[in-house]
Amino acid sequence: MGGLNPRAQSPLRVVAADDDDDIRALVAIAVERAGLNLVASVADGNAAWDVIQETLPELAILDVSMPGKSGLDLCRLIRSDPRLSHTLILLLSASVTEWSQQSGFEVGANEYLMKPFSPRDLAARLSDIAAGAENSS
Amino acid sequence: MTRSRVRSWLDFDSPTPFVKQLPTAIFFLLAAVTVVVAPESFVANELAMALGMGFVAIATVLAGYFTWRSMMSGWVLVVPVIDFLAIGFLRVGTGTNNSAFAALIILPIVWLAAEQGRRFIVFSALGAVVTLLLPIGFDWHLLFDPQFMVRGLVTPVVFAVAAAVINELARQWQRRVDVADEEAAERARLLQESVEHAARIAESEAQLRELERMFRGLWGAVTEQSVIGTDRTGLIDAWNPGATKMLGFTDADTEGIRRIDEFHLADELESRSRELNFPPGETVLNPGFSALVEPARLGNADVREWTYVGADGRILPVDIAVTARRNEAGETIGYLFVANDLTKIKEISRLKDEFVGLISHELRTPLSSILGYLELLRDEAETTLTASQLHYLSVAERNANRLLRLVGDLLFTAQVDSGMFHVDQTEQHLDAIVRSAVESARPVASAAGIALTAEIADGALIRGDAVRIGQACDNLISNAIKFTPKGGAVTVWLEVDGDDAVVSVSDTGMGIASAELDKLFSRFFRASSATRNAVPGVGLGLVITKAIVTAHGGELDVSSTEGVGTCFTMRFPLASDEASRMSSV
Repeated sequence: MGGLNPRAQSPLRVVAADDDDDIRALVAIAVERAGLNLVASVADGNAAWDVIQETLPELAILDVSMPGKSGLDLCRLIRSDPRLSHTLILLLSASVTEWSQQSGFEVGANEYLMKPFSPRDLAARLSDIAAGAENSS
Repeated sequence: MTRSRVRSWLDFDSPTPFVKQLPTAIFFLLAAVTVVVAPESFVANELAMALGMGFVAIATVLAGYFTWRSMMSGWVLVVPVIDFLAIGFLRVGTGTNNSAFAALIILPIVWLAAEQGRRFIVFSALGAVVTLLLPIGFDWHLLFDPQFMVRGLVTPVVFAVAAAVINELARQWQRRVDVADEEAAERARLLQESVEHAARIAESEAQLRELERMFRGLWGAVTEQSVIGTDRTGLIDAWNPGATKMLGFTDADTEGIRRIDEFHLADELESRSRELNFPPGETVLNPGFSALVEPARLGNADVREWTYVGADGRILPVDIAVTARRNEAGETIGYLFVANDLTKIKEISRLKDEFVGLISHELRTPLSSILGYLELLRDEAETTLTASQLHYLSVAERNANRLLRLVGDLLFTAQVDSGMFHVDQTEQHLDAIVRSAVESARPVASAAGIALTAEIADGALIRGDAVRIGQACDNLISNAIKFTPKGGAVTVWLEVDGDDAVVSVSDTGMGIASAELDKLFSRFFRASSATRNAVPGVGLGLVITKAIVTAHGGELDVSSTEGVGTCFTMRFPLASDEASRMSSV
């Protein structure tokens, strides 16, 4: 369990944003289990954009609907910023409608996870991402 | 005798037999008076005198009788005939050639000669001859009296000539009377006709007024729809209270002053005009108006969503039915625009979508935490928790998942209602989907002591969403298991029938009352057998199943016998068939 990557020299830096404290904590646990480095965890879109610009993380886990900027807005901003060309994006959404998944990919998200999600699944997914990032680098 | 009766007896305009007889009777009365005053100088023959008086009395009585009975037949002419005899006898009685009363003969002659027909000239002449030759009956020597005979034969000729003149005059007079009568009748007929015509006009005027009153009432009563009429160029000539309410201008502000396209969004008209390739239509100068009325101009019904711009710049989403107004010859003389305000409908639809989004987020977020943390608990504490604690944990998990499914179902039905549910058209192996649904139901079926069998044909390819079709299959199979008592059987078939793939799920369960079958697919409906047997559920499963099947272009049917079992059948159009149909088009 845990998916800890012993070969990682410096674990991927992760920024998480979700307006629900408990979900944020759940995400933090999954990130920790995947052996990644959670550099910031914020509760709204504007704070998320600030911290992303500041830390230039390798991975952003973003809730789609948040106060301030939405996850989709943040996706667009990240994809239009050359400093963030290396940043992977995982979107979390409680929306059941199909279009949100489509629009998620349209704005450049790499992964898309529906709420409720299993922390086990999220950790596994994050491990995969980390492995993929390492292989490509 | 009443005065009017007297007047009718003495009618000189159309003389009665009595009136015609009156002069003869009066002269005989004078003769009688003279005889009484100086019998010696007048009376030559008493018998003839008496016969003359007698006959005239009979004739007068008859005339009176005919008048009284209003008899106007040929029998009336008996009266002048008798008069001839009476005059003949009076002449004899008063001295034949010397008689002062011979001239009386003119009276019956005039009477007869005035009758219609030339034969009466002859009758008059014959009467005169008989009257004048009557004295021979008393003294046959008169046959040899040349003076008598000449008078007796020549005088009637004179009388006949007079009778002919009278007859002709009478005939001409009668003709004139007839013509006048005809003219009078024609005039009366025309008068009657014009009276009737006037009555008819008055009636249609009343109907017209009634129609107009009705139209005015109707026009004024339409306050929730805007009805605007224009001529062929778009100039407004009719503006109802609904239009006033919707757009804030009155009929006085608009009729004959403004154009319909002034109340439309210019951009919308322009893009529609571009869509229709700038139809010249009614007016080249105003392509927007031409675009607006193009389908109506071509005689097609057209209801389309537009945006009205009212006074003070208010914007209203509307649907407008545009129709052409035509004159009696069928030529287009203008257009009618009947519009419904869609503001409320749009608002409701927006609120519903908002609600769907809100529920989606607000219910699923806490459920995410519950399920997530329950999983963490299970992962981290599996070794330290007791068996019963693990059991409590699984109960909590099961119910959280149930709640999640319920939220998902509710959201799905809301999506279907708001038309936001669209299936993609990927090809799917229906046999694999059905097989997997059957396999996942096996543990539940065996736990419930129900024999679950499947007969699945291979190769049924359909287009759609595998997850949703699987959900539909799951719903039907889990329903069948829920509603079948222990020891029963549930059978799932998949077969290809013509252009359709058919999935049937049949059970040996409690069945559904026939009266409830048509309500089965309404939201939150639960069959009485379900509530009676305390089968859990909220009444959404079949609604969702039907929505899924319908969205895939299929059909969902059910047949059931209470106490025996139920069979649900889903039909999906085969992908290959659809593809071949498309390629053949």
